[in-house]
Amino acid sequence: MKCLLIAVLIVGGMAVATAAADLDEVVARGELVWAADQEGGGPHVFPDPANPRQMTGFEFDLAALLAEELGVKPRFQQGQWDRLPLLLGRTADCVINGIELTPERQRDNHCSRPYFSYSLQLIARRDGPIDTFEKLAATGPKGRWRVGVLTGSAAESVMRSRTDLEVDVIGYDGTIDSLEQLSTGVLDAAVMDDCIFTFYADRFSRLRTVERPFAGGFYTILTARDTPRLSAAIDAAIGRLIADGRLKALYDRWDLAGRQQMLLLRDAGEVPVARQKSLGELCRDTVPLLIRAAGMTVLLSCLSFPLAVGIGLAVAVGRMYGPPLLKPLLTGYVEVLRGTPLMLQLYAIFFLLPKIGLALPALVAAIVALALNYSAYESEIYRAGLKAVPPGQFEASLSLGLSKWQALRHVLVPQAVRIVMPPVTSDFIALFKDTSVCSAITVVELTKRYSVLALSTGRIVELAVVTALLYLCMSWPLAMLSRWFEQRLERPAAGHGLTEG
Amino acid sequence: MITVSSLTKSRAHVRVLEDVSLAGAEGTVTALVGPSGSGKSTLLRCLNGLETFDSGDITVGGHRLTPGSHAPALLERLRCDVGMVFQQFNLFAHLSAVNNVALAPRVVLGLSAADARARGLDLLDRVGLRSFADARPATLSGGQQQRVAIARALAMRPRVMLFDEPTSALDPAMTAEVLEVIVELARDGQTMVVVTHDHAFAKRAASHVVELAAGRIARQGPPADVL
Repeated sequence: MKCLLIAVLIVGGMAVATAAADLDEVVARGELVWAADQEGGGPHVFPDPANPRQMTGFEFDLAALLAEELGVKPRFQQGQWDRLPLLLGRTADCVINGIELTPERQRDNHCSRPYFSYSLQLIARRDGPIDTFEKLAATGPKGRWRVGVLTGSAAESVMRSRTDLEVDVIGYDGTIDSLEQLSTGVLDAAVMDDCIFTFYADRFSRLRTVERPFAGGFYTILTARDTPRLSAAIDAAIGRLIADGRLKALYDRWDLAGRQQMLLLRDAGEVPVARQKSLGELCRDTVPLLIRAAGMTVLLSCLSFPLAVGIGLAVAVGRMYGPPLLKPLLTGYVEVLRGTPLMLQLYAIFFLLPKIGLALPALVAAIVALALNYSAYESEIYRAGLKAVPPGQFEASLSLGLSKWQALRHVLVPQAVRIVMPPVTSDFIALFKDTSVCSAITVVELTKRYSVLALSTGRIVELAVVTALLYLCMSWPLAMLSRWFEQRLERPAAGHGLTEG
Repeated sequence: MITVSSLTKSRAHVRVLEDVSLAGAEGTVTALVGPSGSGKSTLLRCLNGLETFDSGDITVGGHRLTPGSHAPALLERLRCDVGMVFQQFNLFAHLSAVNNVALAPRVVLGLSAADARARGLDLLDRVGLRSFADARPATLSGGQQQRVAIARALAMRPRVMLFDEPTSALDPAMTAEVLEVIVELARDGQTMVVVTHDHAFAKRAASHVVELAAGRIARQGPPADVL
């Protein structure tokens, strides 16, 4: 985690040091590198279902037209959607991926003239309770409504700013994640650009639009601030594509109502530029949020790790001393959980279990996934620990009349626990950092909160410092705690209470 | 108290015990002697079921063992009556001396923590280590550790005590202090079987000596006759 923050700091420094490629360089190179997230899906940019190695989408076609206008070839650069602007001036010349024109984006990057008009649409289940937008203004039978949005999107900021609504806004990393979760009943509603739902509506037959779109705006192409000639060339190219009807034809080809788009683009108004916050305002607005997110990081680690250790110990004991039939099952358990990525396990628990009727809240799903994943590693550590206890200890226990389980409980496991203390401590720290993966299933912990705030305020470096300090404030006491625990175990288990382990 | 009849055991097609028969009455001390690899330790470990055997029959402390694997419940009952002391002491490294002694009475016999500790302190007193009650095994000398191990085995008040080369890992001074404890036990009438290389000790403590050679009984009888 700290490494990541340091990397962000270094990269931030590099972005300042290296100038972005302006128009002449793009032309000399013969390529316009445009960034988008194909995971973001249709109709923007997505893998062609007929040939998944080939990309398609209306923005894929737009990039081709723009490159042609600049007299170069287009080259696609993959990136995660909410982080696409960070690629500018480094691996990409521009970002073309449904980026909404907002005051904040105007402040942080150069925004081209609008090329597409989007509308925000509320979506709900056909058989669900939300049938008008008004319903969101009062709490439902289960409290506040749970509404899914794409992290970093205009839908997210619009819904978060609507304090008049009784909604918990839940940010997802993938565009259609919220549709999946709405379909399985985890969410009550979702908000997204209407063209996205139109595109995927057939796949989610249980879902429908609720009323007409309630807000909207324009997509813009982002370029770096220090490439004015490239920015101007792109603006001019968009102008020519609108004027000669090629853009309208493109939208008609994608079933995006070309004529209506042209009318909306003609009357697009100016969007103001957001003011840079002062350091004081920045701290006041972000530090409480970061501290809350840090609390989530602590909660996730402190709830999942004891579970992981308990399950891991049970699995290790079962594999070494359990009935023969159990052993291959437990070995399989360890190999499957160790051999598949934590991220995949999170997805399986959060997105797939609801399909068989077991919908876990995100926090519970995160704790379960972390506990299961780490239990596989803990079990291997405990297996090593149990093997490291000299065999004479087991024989001595048996020869005193202890049963196998009593020997395990009172002699072998307490010694194994002491032996494996250092690797288990280090695993705890690893898990502490791995909690950031849980942001994939909407649990907002410190890293996620940092990344959201850094992107929305544009203050990457300042917030990185605050976040790093918060991590230190947490990991330091945790390290002290485990050291204290280790020392406590080092002392003879003794005294009057005869307590072991 | 101990009866072994026609005991035979093979390990990887090698006979380690061949037609071994012996008997030990209550209050007697049987010394098992013989060169390394003659099967002394294996015979001793058969007596409390740490090893199985192929044919023959063992009765020890009122419990009967038959060829093949033993039922766990039988072994747990038998081992309450048959204590064992190992060459390498095998003290529980994570427990203090007194807790080493008190563990089995508490866990197996169900004594309260206070009663188990009292029993532990009494036995440490008996082996001269009461002042080391709260010391960790790692901080004790080899001789002290073996005395704690003897106290630990005695804590179950066994009818038979088995000693597997109890002084082989000790220097002469420590050997003396451990043998002193064992001789003391013999004087108190504890039934014991002791595997040893120490003929002087066998002469002094044993009432009966069994000499093994290549898994068979070479000679047995009173110490004066065998040694």
